Amino acid sequence: MRKIMYLEFERCIGCRSCQAACRECGGHEAKERNYVEYVDFMESRQTYPMLCMQCKDPACARVCPANAIQITEEGVVLSAMEEKCIGCRNCTFGCPFGIPKFDFEANKMYKCDMCYDRSKYDIAPMCASVCPSDAIRFIDFDEMQALRRRRAQMNLVEGKKPQEGNKWEYVPEFFGVYTD
Amino acid sequence: MQRLEKSFYSKTSMYAFFVTLVLFFTVWIGTGKFQHIDMALLGYLLSSFIFAIGLTVRMCSWLLRPATYQVVKRSLKNLKDKKRVKRNIISILKTAFENIFLQKFIFKRGIYRGVQHFLIAWGCIGSFAITFGLTFGWMRFDLVDSDTYQIVVMDLPTITMKAHGIFAEMIYNGLNITAVMVLVGVCMALARRIVDKDVKVTQRFEFDLFPLYLLLAVTVSGLLLTVSYTFLDGWMHHYITLIHQITVVVMLVYFPFGKLFHLPIRPLATAVPMNYQEEWKVDTRPCKKCGATYSSDEQIEDVKGILQAQNFDLQLADGSFLADYCPACRRRMRVMKQLNMEAPKGNPYGPIQTLNGIQISGFGKKRSDEFYNIPKEEEKVH
Ligand code: SF4
Ligand code: SF4
Repeated sequence: MRKIMYLEFERCIGCRSCQAACRECGGHEAKERNYVEYVDFMESRQTYPMLCMQCKDPACARVCPANAIQITEEGVVLSAMEEKCIGCRNCTFGCPFGIPKFDFEANKMYKCDMCYDRSKYDIAPMCASVCPSDAIRFIDFDEMQALRRRRAQMNLVEGKKPQEGNKWEYVPEFFGVYTD
Repeated sequence: MQRLEKSFYSKTSMYAFFVTLVLFFTVWIGTGKFQHIDMALLGYLLSSFIFAIGLTVRMCSWLLRPATYQVVKRSLKNLKDKKRVKRNIISILKTAFENIFLQKFIFKRGIYRGVQHFLIAWGCIGSFAITFGLTFGWMRFDLVDSDTYQIVVMDLPTITMKAHGIFAEMIYNGLNITAVMVLVGVCMALARRIVDKDVKVTQRFEFDLFPLYLLLAVTVSGLLLTVSYTFLDGWMHHYITLIHQITVVVMLVYFPFGKLFHLPIRPLATAVPMNYQEEWKVDTRPCKKCGATYSSDEQIEDVKGILQAQNFDLQLADGSFLADYCPACRRRMRVMKQLNMEAPKGNPYGPIQTLNGIQISGFGKKRSDEFYNIPKEEEKVH
C-alpha cells in the first residue's frame, strides 16, 4: 500500500456520508466503524471525522488477552479475529484514540480496517472516496507532505512575519524531512 | 518449587514433562499395566502425546503475553476470593452454558454460521473425547459372555450391555455420529467460504481453509472405514485405515498451532463476567471528563497495567491516563489537541498555529528515518 489517509478535521461539514459509505463496505455487516462527532457542541457545530490510526505498534492489539487483533503485512490493523475474541473490550479501553467498537450481541470487537479489501489494492477506502469536502483523503505520501507544508506557508501568504519570540510557530510540524 | 523449576530447561518444558507423565500414568492405569493396550492404536497414542505436549507449549507461550497474563492472574485471584464465590459460580456456569455449550453469540452472528459452528464444535469435541478415551486406554470394552459387553473405565468395570442393544449400537457408532456432524458442518463452512465474498477479504488459506480441508479429510476417511466394513466386506479397509491414521496424526499435531487452538482459549471468556462486567451491558466506572459510565474499575486497572508492562506511555500532563476517559472523550481529546483547541484561545491575528505538541520540537531531535516511511534517496542510482 503506497498511499496514506489524510484527515483535515476543519474541513468536515458533518454530512456523515463517510459513515453511510462505511456501512456499505464488504465485511462491515452494515455497521459503520468510523465516527463523526461534534468537537465542542457548546461552542460551534464543527464536526470531525475519526478513523483508526492503524498504529505501528497498536495498543489495542497489545492489551488483547486473546491475541485476536492481527496486523496485515501492509500495516493495517484488522478487527478482532472472530474465533479468538472473547469479548472483554480491553481493546476499546487500551486504544489511546477510542476507536474499536464492540458488538455485544455477536460478542466481538470491530474496528476501522481502512476497507482492507480496497486499500490493499490502493483503492481509496469507502469514506475517503465519498467525502464531499475532502476532510478524508487517500493520497500519496508526497502530496500529504505538500499539504502539511502549505499549512505553515499560509502564515506568509497572509503577510504575518516571524519574530524572534514566535519564530517556532512558523515551522511546519514535520522537521527535517523537506528536501526541496 | 524453584529448585524443581531450575532443573528443567524452562517452565514450559517442566509443564510439558509433567503433562506427559500424568498422561502416561493414566494410560498405565487404564490399560491395567499395559496388559490391554491396543496395538492398533499405537500411532494414535503417540500423536496424542505430541498433541498434549504441543498444547502445553502453546498454552504457556500464550500465557506469556502480558495481556493474557494479567487477565488470567486476576481471574485466579478472584477465584480464590471468598467474597466473590457467588459471582464466580454464576459467571462460570453462565459462560459454560451460553457461551461454550450453546454458542449463542455465534447464532447471533447468523443462524447458518451458528448451526455450522455448533456441528463442527460438538462433533469435534465428541470425536476427541471418544478418540482419546480409546487411545489412552481410559475406556475399553470387554466381552463378559457371548453377547454381553462391559464398559471398562480406567480399568474399573462399569455397566454391562447387550452386544446388539440400542445403547451398544449408539456407543459403537459414536464416532460415526460425531463424524457426520463434523462433515455437515465442514461442508457448510466451506460453502460459506466459497460463496460469501465478505469473508474472503481477510481469509488466509493456511489459517482458515487448511483446517477445514483437514477436518474434511479426517471425517471422510473415517466414515469410509465404516462404509468399507459394513457394506463392502472390508474392501480396501487396510489402506483406508492407513490414510485415516495419517490424517488424524496430521490434525493432532496441527491442532495446537493453527486456527483450532481457539478452542482451549475460549474458557477465558469467563473472565469477562467474573472480573469485568458482572451484568451484561452494564458499566460501572464513570468517565473522568463526561461522567458517562464506560467500564469497570478492575478492567481499567488491568488495561493500565498491561500497557505499562509494555512501555506504553499514555499518561497525560495532569497525571491521568487516557484509559481514564471514555472512548468518546478520548476521540475528542485527540481532535482538540490536534486543532490546538485545548490551549487558551490565542490571538486570531497571530500566526496560524502549526505546532501542536504532538510532533517533536527542535531540529536537533530528529526521528529515525523509518518513522517517516520514505524510500531512501541515496539508494537511487544517479
Ligand atoms: S474484545 Fe476481543 S479483540 Fe478486544 S481485547 Fe477483548 S478479546 Fe481482544
Ligand atoms: S484501534 Fe486504536 S490502538 Fe488500535 S490501531 Fe487503531 S488507533 Fe491504534
